Amino acid sequence: MIYVVFAVLLWVSGWMLNVRLANGPHAQSRSIQLLVPAIFGLTILLIWELIVRGLSVPLVILPPPSMIAGRFAGSLPILWQDFVQTFVKGALSGYVIGCAAAFILAIVVDRFDFLRRGLLPVGNFMAALPIVGTAPILVMWFGFDWQSKAAVVVVMVFFPVLVNTVAGLRDTSDMQRDLMRTYGASYSQTLMKLRLPAAMPFIFNGLKIATTLALVGAIVAEFFGSPTRGMGFRISTSVGQLALDMVWAEIVVAALAGSFFYGAIALFERGVTFWHPSQRK
Amino acid sequence: MKTTMMAAALAAGFGGMAQADANDVKLQLQWVTQAQFAGYYVALDEGFYDEEGLNVTILPGGPDIAPPQVLAGGGADVMLNWMPSALAAREKGLPVVNIAQPFKSSGLMLTCWKDTGITSVEDFKGKTIGVWFFGNEYPFLSWMSQAGISTDGGEDGVTVLKQGFNVDPLLQRQADCISTMTYNEYGQVLDAGIPADELVTFKYEEQGVATLEDGIYALEQNLEDPEFVDKMVRFVRASMKGWKWAEENPEAAAMIVLDNDETGAQTEAAQIRMMGEVAKLTAGSNGALDEADYQRTVDTLLAGGSDPVISAAPTGAWTSVITDAALK
Repeated sequence: MIYVVFAVLLWVSGWMLNVRLANGPHAQSRSIQLLVPAIFGLTILLIWELIVRGLSVPLVILPPPSMIAGRFAGSLPILWQDFVQTFVKGALSGYVIGCAAAFILAIVVDRFDFLRRGLLPVGNFMAALPIVGTAPILVMWFGFDWQSKAAVVVVMVFFPVLVNTVAGLRDTSDMQRDLMRTYGASYSQTLMKLRLPAAMPFIFNGLKIATTLALVGAIVAEFFGSPTRGMGFRISTSVGQLALDMVWAEIVVAALAGSFFYGAIALFERGVTFWHPSQRK
Repeated sequence: MKTTMMAAALAAGFGGMAQADANDVKLQLQWVTQAQFAGYYVALDEGFYDEEGLNVTILPGGPDIAPPQVLAGGGADVMLNWMPSALAAREKGLPVVNIAQPFKSSGLMLTCWKDTGITSVEDFKGKTIGVWFFGNEYPFLSWMSQAGISTDGGEDGVTVLKQGFNVDPLLQRQADCISTMTYNEYGQVLDAGIPADELVTFKYEEQGVATLEDGIYALEQNLEDPEFVDKMVRFVRASMKGWKWAEENPEAAAMIVLDNDETGAQTEAAQIRMMGEVAKLTAGSNGALDEADYQRTVDTLLAGGSDPVISAAPTGAWTSVITDAALK
């Protein structure tokens, strides 16, 4: 009971501290901007720990963060193996293949209008296929290993990147295209020097969306058949074994991987689209 | 402290339903509605539960439903589970207790292609084996551990595939052997057109590594409530009556199961075959857990060596209180 009281006090004090910092004189400084979310996150973890221990919540319902951290630290080889299997082999390879295919198809579709009218609805349909239906089929076709997971990821990331790239390629105004024409630019010169750079914000939008889809797709695809490693495998079998702390440890790995993946693409975007209004500080 | 807080929270929530509780039982099955659970459906349809004054709701399971979790979350009063899974859950801090054991023998086996040349356990080395998870992997891991074969793949170990609840890995040649039940998946392989003489099977019972299967489990804290215990006594009595009826009338029992199948996915022929095979597994049990069988299961699990399913002999994992009163 004392723990619960303590948790409530912690919550109130953390809140007050953050309000004070956010409205204080140095609110715009870098260190305060990092500190406020950090305090928030830390408060949540501490409240979680205290409430779970104070109310003696069963471990199979919700383990405390300290147990999860312990399991995380103690299972690093397993977690690394799962990470490589799911993220590097499954999600990343599917992401690269899917985005490359979508990009190339978008350029072709942009060139020939009748293809756009024909292929975009098909792409739309493919995007609507539920992954829980397509994953078992792809496992049947491509086998149990990472190849079927990459296939699932390809299906999932294909449409968002295609749609965004097509939209981006159409984003240049008539004035800009006419200017290139007056310079005597060929189709490919216009493409490389005007239309692709102008399409970059859209393309990166699609790529960022695809990062989350890729990770989700790879993990969920593993529920339907996998060798005995991989994040999806570990999560589903740990649930079956009631090892919820392992499930949470894998969730932490997935969250870290997803955040870094997204951050890497965003960083790349900042370099390529430095000229765009969204990149202004 | 531990149970008082949880009980207080639950009681506050379920206050209004307190009166009806004394005769309501929710049973969580391990899998979808099929003849593996015929005894309970028979007891429902033939009125055995009504005779005991019970209002029983049977909750079918499925691919991602872990009965121990449902029990932990309060979604059911009793669950069916295999003993290895229940003992492992007990070690993880979920105090489930076996209150009855309708299934005397194990129907688990490995079915392999004969052309892989596998004739004994030793031949498993270097092969790919499909294993079910979600609580069903323990007998296999235990067996491999006892045989000294690693499950990490390679020349001297077995490569394990997480098999979905179907027989496709064998048919598609993605695995050399798959896990099957005598009463279910083995029939599916035969139905797929594979003649029995192209297959070789290893029954866990014959290999000496069988563990007890479908048992009835409840939470330890609930068994401290005399009203709950009385409810369980009546439930087990009626359920065992259902099982014995099903053993004597397998075809009728299969039809009752089909009537209760909400998905419409089961077929008459498969269910009649399943009931016939399940009757072989329930024969010899009147519902009471035989301590010798329990000990054999525990010994098999503890002999796991480097990868034991449970690390210590469980205490208080089963009780005869319910069956003693039910079978008086």
